[in-house]
Amino acid sequence: MANIAKKVSWSGRGDDRGERTPLLNGAEEVKYNNRQFSGGSIFHIGRLSTVDLEEEITPEESLDYDNSENQLFLEEERRMSHMGFGCLEIKRWVICGLIGFLTGLIACCIDIVVENLAGFKAILNVVRLSLTRLPDIEKFTEVGGLSISLILWAVLNSAFVMVGAIIVAFIEPVAAGSGIPQIKCYLNGVKVPRVVRLKTLVVKVFGVIFSVAGGLAVGKEGPMIHSGAVVAAGVSQGRSTSLKKDFKMFEYFRRDTEKRDFVSAGAAAGVSAAFGAPVGGVLFSLEEGASFWNQMLTWRIFFASMISSFTLNFFLSIYHKKPGELSSPGLINFGRFDSDIVEYNLYEIPLFIIMGALGGLLGALFNVLNYWLTIFRIRYVHRPCLQVMEAMLVAAVTATVSFAMIYFSNDCQPLGPDHNEEYPLQLFCSDGEYNSMATAFFNTPERSVRSLFHNPPGTYNPLTLGVFTLVYFFLAVWTYGLAVSAGVFIPSLLIGAAWGRLFGILLSFIASSQSIWADPGKYALIGAAAQLGGIVRMTLSLTVIMVEATGNVTYGFPIMLVLMTAKIVGDYFAEGLYDVHIKLQSVPFLHWEAPHTSHWLTAREVMSSPVTCFNQVDKVGTIVDVLSDTSTNHNGFPVVVHSPGSDEPGKLCGLILRSQLIVLLKHKVFVERASSRLTQRKLQLKDFRDAYPRFPPIQSIHVSQDERECMMDLTEFMNPTPYTVPQETSLPRVFKLFRALGLRHLVVIDGDNMVVGLVSRKDLARYHLGKHGLEELHLAQT
Amino acid sequence: MGLLIKCTFLTSCLFVWSLTLVKCTVYPPQVRGNGAINAHSPALDSESPALQARSLGYFYSLSLSSTFPDDLEVKEHCIEMLHIFGQRYVAYANCLVSYARPVKICQNCHTSFNSLVEMYTNISSDQLGPGNVSCHDTLMRSDRLMLLYTLFSKLNEIWTIAGCKRMSSENQDTLSNDTLYFMTSLNLSLTCFEKFQGNHSELCKDCKLSYKSLNELYGKMEENQTLCIDIEDSMNMTRRLWSKTFGCSFPREEIVPVIAVSCFMLFLPIIFYLSSFLHSEQKKRKLIHPNRAKSSSSLMNIQDKFS
Repeated sequence: MANIAKKVSWSGRGDDRGERTPLLNGAEEVKYNNRQFSGGSIFHIGRLSTVDLEEEITPEESLDYDNSENQLFLEEERRMSHMGFGCLEIKRWVICGLIGFLTGLIACCIDIVVENLAGFKAILNVVRLSLTRLPDIEKFTEVGGLSISLILWAVLNSAFVMVGAIIVAFIEPVAAGSGIPQIKCYLNGVKVPRVVRLKTLVVKVFGVIFSVAGGLAVGKEGPMIHSGAVVAAGVSQGRSTSLKKDFKMFEYFRRDTEKRDFVSAGAAAGVSAAFGAPVGGVLFSLEEGASFWNQMLTWRIFFASMISSFTLNFFLSIYHKKPGELSSPGLINFGRFDSDIVEYNLYEIPLFIIMGALGGLLGALFNVLNYWLTIFRIRYVHRPCLQVMEAMLVAAVTATVSFAMIYFSNDCQPLGPDHNEEYPLQLFCSDGEYNSMATAFFNTPERSVRSLFHNPPGTYNPLTLGVFTLVYFFLAVWTYGLAVSAGVFIPSLLIGAAWGRLFGILLSFIASSQSIWADPGKYALIGAAAQLGGIVRMTLSLTVIMVEATGNVTYGFPIMLVLMTAKIVGDYFAEGLYDVHIKLQSVPFLHWEAPHTSHWLTAREVMSSPVTCFNQVDKVGTIVDVLSDTSTNHNGFPVVVHSPGSDEPGKLCGLILRSQLIVLLKHKVFVERASSRLTQRKLQLKDFRDAYPRFPPIQSIHVSQDERECMMDLTEFMNPTPYTVPQETSLPRVFKLFRALGLRHLVVIDGDNMVVGLVSRKDLARYHLGKHGLEELHLAQT
Repeated sequence: MGLLIKCTFLTSCLFVWSLTLVKCTVYPPQVRGNGAINAHSPALDSESPALQARSLGYFYSLSLSSTFPDDLEVKEHCIEMLHIFGQRYVAYANCLVSYARPVKICQNCHTSFNSLVEMYTNISSDQLGPGNVSCHDTLMRSDRLMLLYTLFSKLNEIWTIAGCKRMSSENQDTLSNDTLYFMTSLNLSLTCFEKFQGNHSELCKDCKLSYKSLNELYGKMEENQTLCIDIEDSMNMTRRLWSKTFGCSFPREEIVPVIAVSCFMLFLPIIFYLSSFLHSEQKKRKLIHPNRAKSSSSLMNIQDKFS
């Protein structure tokens, strides 16, 4: 049997073995039969101690990217003139411009604040440490000058991080981390709650500032992508529900389809602002997100990216008091590689590939370690106060480790004439020299990356680099996943640049006679690309981002090769970091393709059944009861016509969504009322849009006993032509429909157009290709 | 400017075109520094064979020193200037080399540099000398090598990089007060070092004051940007003496308290994780169960497929 399917639970204890039960195995027929009658619970006998089946289930929602072409929609379309559509198009462009502008502005603010805070802190430390160099050093030693400065440093960092962690853990937990997994989910069609709210944006921005200022091993680039997405979601709606303010603008765009286009533009603008890579941003959106692409949308997204990059550039130039000098396109600036120094040769390509493999290995190690840590955190460190404490401890330990490394480092480098080291710290070095380890730790990570790329050969001691890589690697593993908002891009780049430079230095030792070609800066760049590729496993967009951020097209080919190798090697061992986290959050994420060996699965096996259906004209009481049934919490309901007198499921004639029903109930669109009072305003599509995106829960809608007896006519509001498939459709075919059309519900019908079942996103996301063939996951709730 | 270039280009194009039109043999045009083509060349079509023979003759038989027509020859006066420039150049280069290590070029070579600059300014100025001829064009812009300019700019660059201008006083002749003060201070320290040559611990204690004031002075000069290579080099040497040779730098201190505090800090997370592992209740995750078709036909189908 080729396909041994297994059930794997993500929330199991360390050993999943006990819960792995073959799904399709002749010997397990009895069990299999049992499952048919007990709704699957027989499979979890071993888990009943930890899983409470009775609890209310409120899973994350999917987004409706499929347009409901009901009669209201047709009417509105008929009313709209040719001009109206032109106006819409113009509005789209305006919104994209605004998205770019605001994203760039936010990036600019973050950059300026972080720079000032980091500078302030470093100065404080330098002053403190340099106190020990005063003539009365004997006196200072008595009171323990160095250990006091160590403690001060740790406390200062912890204090910063504490503020950052408190606002994340207590105000908006979804703002934790880089936000890229969440945006990936959103673009994939899963609505992670509260992910695109204004509050999230505010928490995110302040969280980033504090965590970067707190000296954690984090970067501010990843959160920019999330920020861009939130800006996009907010601007395109023309209102903020957090602020309860409606600008009465852009009302047409208040639905999932349109919003998603803008969110992908926002994500692109975020990447563009973070790395100064407009094309990379567009490709990021393409690679990670949207499944619908057309030329106009891409062009608009590119426009948003460019505007964002330009805005950042412009405001930073004003900040640096050189208005109009547009030379700092991104938050991170890798500096320019001088093309004649850093050419690469054909014989270096194998070396690059080796580095790519190394990056893949290290990246996989990073992901595996972080995976274990995250599982531990989910299980044991889930209370907000514990999370804050953990973040503070990480900050304190980071400071301590840095201090210890600075203290024990013997790597002294002579001060350069132009002082490209911003905070040279002498400590135990001789006069006129500085401790290069201190520079590596005191600088912002971005600056360290840049100096690893560009400092002339001989600036770094191999031992320093080795120890730094090791320590920073573990710090970064430990830091990612804390309840602070911070990204993983810069730490990975820094780790990679450090070991890449080490690699380059060692190479020039080996090839001592012709050491010119082994320029360590070049290898630092390749190493950074390899490490980042090994961790996040992005391909196309990362290549372009690196090329754009370094401003060097010459390295396009090596970087591509390196990223390819890193991805291949890394995928062999572990998934990408973002995928790991998406999985741990139990999000029904649909990948590009259905699992390979799943053609034998048909819609009949995949679908949920029986389906709760409504009649074309149904009683209000029934609808309210179904909607308020907490155990099911369905979102889409097929509308059927019953053949009179039969007990069979009815013929499908449409599909209606929970949100639509709720709006209908709220406006009390009942048949009786319509016939009795002719003056009542006809419900328009606008009413549905106004309620978007936070439809009130069913509990908040009061329906009196009399009204329960009324009837509701759904004909006008339902989608009369939902997508359907016959029962024999294979899983990949269903999958393709979902992925390409962004479906939320797919009705399964039999030959007579009778509703047999309903496939939703969760039914598909369960299946994935594991080590033993097709496996079925149990999506857990977070 | 662009227009000018365009015009020049156009004229040269015309010229080349006319050359080809009259089927003339190729004649090496005299090109001036500014790229314009010398227009008043001898008549083209009649004399061309003879001219060709003569130009070939220049290359193969005659030495280059043979006489040119009068208007192209370098004036006596200019030759004189060239000669003086050469002498001063040699003197300056000689001075640079002899004070290369330890670097003392700014103190010792500024007179020769100044005289060289003076000569160069004379040559490069557009002032008309005797005979109403400026040597500027003749000496400096007649050929593509532009030897005088290249030679001078290299040496001038050295002077600029060394920062010697910052060291001298306003009128460029004498050293500035800051520099002199630094020299005195430096000498003080060095004498002190000399005094305690044998005993390093004594030296560290007794010379600390003078060394410290020297360091401070240097720091101040660094801020004011009045440093030149001489001062930087001597300071580097002194610091190396102080830190490396005499070992007066600070020893690694407080190892025990630093290690103790670090260990304490590193233990905190271990305690934290252990306690949260032991005391915090494990978070339960709720699984969402599929609600599948209950008809047995589908089951039969699957079994059929795989049995």
